[in-house]
Amino acid sequence: MTILRYVFYILVFPGALFTIAVGLFMAGIDRKVIAHMQKRVGPPLRQPMYDFFKLLGKETIIPAKANRAAFLEAPVLSFVSLCFIMLFIPIFGFTAINGAADMIVILYLVTIPGAALIIGGASSGSPFASIGISREMVTMMAYELPFVLVLLTVAKKVGGDQLVFNLSLVSEYQAANGSLLSHWSMIPAALAMLLVIPAEVGTQPFDVAEAENEICEGPLVEYSGSPLALFKLSINMKMIIMTGLFTSMFLGGIRTGFVALDAVLFVIICIAVMLVSITTIHAVTARLKIEHLFKFYWTVVAGLALVSTILVWIGM
Amino acid sequence: MFKKLIDKSAAKSPWLFHLNTGSCNGCDIEIVACLTPRYDAERFGFKLAGSPRHADILVVSGPITVQSRDRLIRTIEQTPEPKCVVSIGSCPKSGNVFKGSYGIDGPLDKYVHVDVSVAGCTPKPEAIMEGLYKAALILEKKREAMHK
Amino acid sequence: MIQHFPVLAVMGMFLGAFLIEIFGSKNAAVRNAISFITFTVVAGLVYALIKPIIIDGGVIAYWMGNWEPVAGYAIGIGYEVDALGLVFAIIAITAFWISNLYSFGYMKGEHHLGHYYTLFMMLCGSILGFCMTGDLFNMYIMVEIMTFSAVALTGFITDKDGALEAALKYLVLCSLGSGFILTGIALIYLQCHTLNIAQLASMLSGGLTPTTLLAFALTVAGFGVKSFMVPFHTPLADAHAVAPSPISMVLSGVVTKAGVYGMIRCIYIMFRAMDLTQMQIIITAFGAVTMFVGVSMALAQHDFKRLLAFHSISQVGYIITAAGLGTALGLTGGIFHAMNHMLFKGLLFLAAGAVLHQTGGVTNLDKLGGLSKRMPHTTVCFLFGAAAISGLPPFNGFASKWLIYQAAYTKAAETGNFYYLIITITALVVSVMTLASFVKIAQAVFFGQLSEENKDVKEAPAIMLVPMYILAALCLLTGIFYRPIAADFILPAVRSTVDVVKYIDVMMGEGYAAAAGVYNMAVSNVMVSSWSPIVYLILFITVFIAAFIVILGSKSDRGATVEVDPKNAMKHSNFFSGEEPVYSHVGGSDMLWGYKYDFKPYYRVMEELHSGRVTDYCNMVVIATAIIVVFMFMFMR
Repeated sequence: MTILRYVFYILVFPGALFTIAVGLFMAGIDRKVIAHMQKRVGPPLRQPMYDFFKLLGKETIIPAKANRAAFLEAPVLSFVSLCFIMLFIPIFGFTAINGAADMIVILYLVTIPGAALIIGGASSGSPFASIGISREMVTMMAYELPFVLVLLTVAKKVGGDQLVFNLSLVSEYQAANGSLLSHWSMIPAALAMLLVIPAEVGTQPFDVAEAENEICEGPLVEYSGSPLALFKLSINMKMIIMTGLFTSMFLGGIRTGFVALDAVLFVIICIAVMLVSITTIHAVTARLKIEHLFKFYWTVVAGLALVSTILVWIGM
Repeated sequence: MFKKLIDKSAAKSPWLFHLNTGSCNGCDIEIVACLTPRYDAERFGFKLAGSPRHADILVVSGPITVQSRDRLIRTIEQTPEPKCVVSIGSCPKSGNVFKGSYGIDGPLDKYVHVDVSVAGCTPKPEAIMEGLYKAALILEKKREAMHK
Repeated sequence: MIQHFPVLAVMGMFLGAFLIEIFGSKNAAVRNAISFITFTVVAGLVYALIKPIIIDGGVIAYWMGNWEPVAGYAIGIGYEVDALGLVFAIIAITAFWISNLYSFGYMKGEHHLGHYYTLFMMLCGSILGFCMTGDLFNMYIMVEIMTFSAVALTGFITDKDGALEAALKYLVLCSLGSGFILTGIALIYLQCHTLNIAQLASMLSGGLTPTTLLAFALTVAGFGVKSFMVPFHTPLADAHAVAPSPISMVLSGVVTKAGVYGMIRCIYIMFRAMDLTQMQIIITAFGAVTMFVGVSMALAQHDFKRLLAFHSISQVGYIITAAGLGTALGLTGGIFHAMNHMLFKGLLFLAAGAVLHQTGGVTNLDKLGGLSKRMPHTTVCFLFGAAAISGLPPFNGFASKWLIYQAAYTKAAETGNFYYLIITITALVVSVMTLASFVKIAQAVFFGQLSEENKDVKEAPAIMLVPMYILAALCLLTGIFYRPIAADFILPAVRSTVDVVKYIDVMMGEGYAAAAGVYNMAVSNVMVSSWSPIVYLILFITVFIAAFIVILGSKSDRGATVEVDPKNAMKHSNFFSGEEPVYSHVGGSDMLWGYKYDFKPYYRVMEELHSGRVTDYCNMVVIATAIIVVFMFMFMR
């Protein structure tokens, strides 16, 4: 019975199926809203789903210079690890696998899709991909510092002088004391986290690694067919995972008592977070250069997070 | 199970890869104009892809110059099936005003089967959109033919 | 019977060294047989100690020549093995056993191999003796044997460019360190008239006089040199770059750990100063600087083995930081990381050695590339090691780093000290920088394009692959079963560091500690943990395989997977914007550009400091030692 429950968690909710469905839906909303911001009609909401299935129907070409095994397994690794991360993120009161992972584990788990993209790109043997993975890695280094600061700030705010890395406890704390965003000392950290999300997901202006009009989509340049579909799907899944992480860290105080209702609310809040952090920034900015991106994250964003850390540390 | 959905998706999400084989840039500007808010090709799912490996439709503009010939053939080869080739403007079709020049080795259908040909110098964005839409429908047919 | 094992292990190693010199200098088969048998027997002797010491929690004491203490004063040399020493001895003998196996393949064809194995076994014997001895001066002698055999092994391939220079640097700096240790020991002997660690522990715990304080500072600095923490790290990078790979493995996996062990033995047991806040601050400060400088220097390297060397420094920084926190959790993380570092860094050095061996000595990251198609097994092993050192779950590096983060953060939260929060953040950020530099190696060596010169490279022979696979499997297993290992293997070692009374009593006779007024510090053995890798891993693997089959394996509804077809070469060539594909490989120096650009001022300073001159390096050592001495005299009296 327990096994069946876990299978359900992994395959349906909140694992693969839920993450995929919501991820594709969010990507659709993202494109639609950007189109409206630019006074366009935009693609239908189902468009990311069409993209995914179309790519499944295409040929998969394996370049002669590529390492076949790594080239094919990297997208699967990325996809599967993303299916798992959602199990550890509490959807308000509900966490699929409670107590099996904390914020630090999640911090490391979200680097696995990035690492998979890097291995895939590197194994394709293309110089465009090599430049892409170099940029991808620098982006990862860039957002890691503010990300770490935000996580430690949340831990300190919630735990006081105890060690609390568990996201479920963070959620419970918010149910008792109001969401963390309503504490003014946490607002800079929340802003920093909002800026970390687009870099983690890889949207403009932080998509230097996958810049399609200068380095031919970087690590993805040699991918076609199903592996490409999986990588594109991973990007969409990252949207729900990163905004979900934000929601459970900063807006996690809601309890309705029904898991289904919670999940719907959760998705709605995630979409709102996405509209702020991914869509708006995407629509109004142009791509940064990699050295500017690195500097931006280690000064501005890390500075914002550090302000929060210090405020929380002195007991505000 | 998903066979129908995949076939249908082929028409709904065509990604373009734009090849300039010696065009005067007139057609290129018009292709870009299709993606602007005024014409908004993204309504139909059209998107410019960064690599031929991601593309469904190869959009060729310009008479085939000798220099670009090998690059053109190579890029078409590197695009995965099912794919469509669309020629934009009169140049790839006939050579246009460049016909007979020592530097031209056209027309395009000498090298590859052209699925849709949009005529004009330069064609209007509306015409380009229609051509691309027809190509998308051909894509669906090609996709259906793949599993027969 | 069992109390003879520690001495037999050390003696056996030295005996093997002599036997090889006598019988094995000509015949390879005899030489290999002697070394293999010796290492296996000694490993058996050391592993046999697990039962009485780690499982039953005992301490084994042995007096050389039966010179037992007279009237409460230790005269003879005593061997004393507690769980701490044994864990480090196990780390050492495991690394040496594997490295020895690898040497059979790697060193084939070199000259004077008899000397090589002799020195190799002397190194092993000295480290085993270092970990098991209970006598301070004996410890010093073992350090000296260790240093000199390590120096000789570093420069063993004398015709290699820079080998002798690196050996000289190593020799000069380590001699300085030995000098500090010897001075410290002399001062202690002056004060206490004994050299037995157990007896010293009972004498020194009452508070430090200026003499013993100076001795303490010098010993810490001396062992700091031996563990190559920043700013004593400079010779290590050169040494690793030129040493044979099996030697690099033991230098980084074991010799640096010996320094850390010396520090832990010295601070926790002999001087019992780890509960002093000032002590914790200076040790963690050195640790954090070591972590960051090591990894940032590694990011700028373009020599495979030099890069790994700087990572050794960085990882030792983790261990020192963790040990310096002075909590049970921190020390658990530290010792666990010491073990894990031996496993994954050993694996990485062996992988580097395989590349170097098969390509004919190329370690420049700009000249390699695309080897994954030629050396698939080495690539798999390297990726395992890289994932482990970068701390990706579920590998062992994650388990121990995770303990370290928790220890550092708990310390920060409990004390309310912002300083420890900075330590935590440094540790977390260094981890992703480690990942970055391994991405760089993966791209520059194993992926990317294969160059013309390396077209005919073959996979390493089986005798080299077997040790690598052993280590790779251990990396994964210790990561998955980290909980029993941390609780049943590492935690006894941590307990033994606080259970000083037992350490003294076993050596000096029951009741000695109580008579001297020594009591154990109260330490909680709580392990904070909510990470269960087994469930995760099993699920992950199942779903991974299922997804692979469903998504990429099935042929039905999707477009076909097109394999390489020589008739249609164009389709499978890389996309070069339509151009003819040419050899174009993004090498190590070209990677991570944005980061290097933004850190330019920092690297300018670092370049000044790493000038390559021995005199500069000696200055750094002396200045750092002076800082430690002054700090201790200012804040710890």
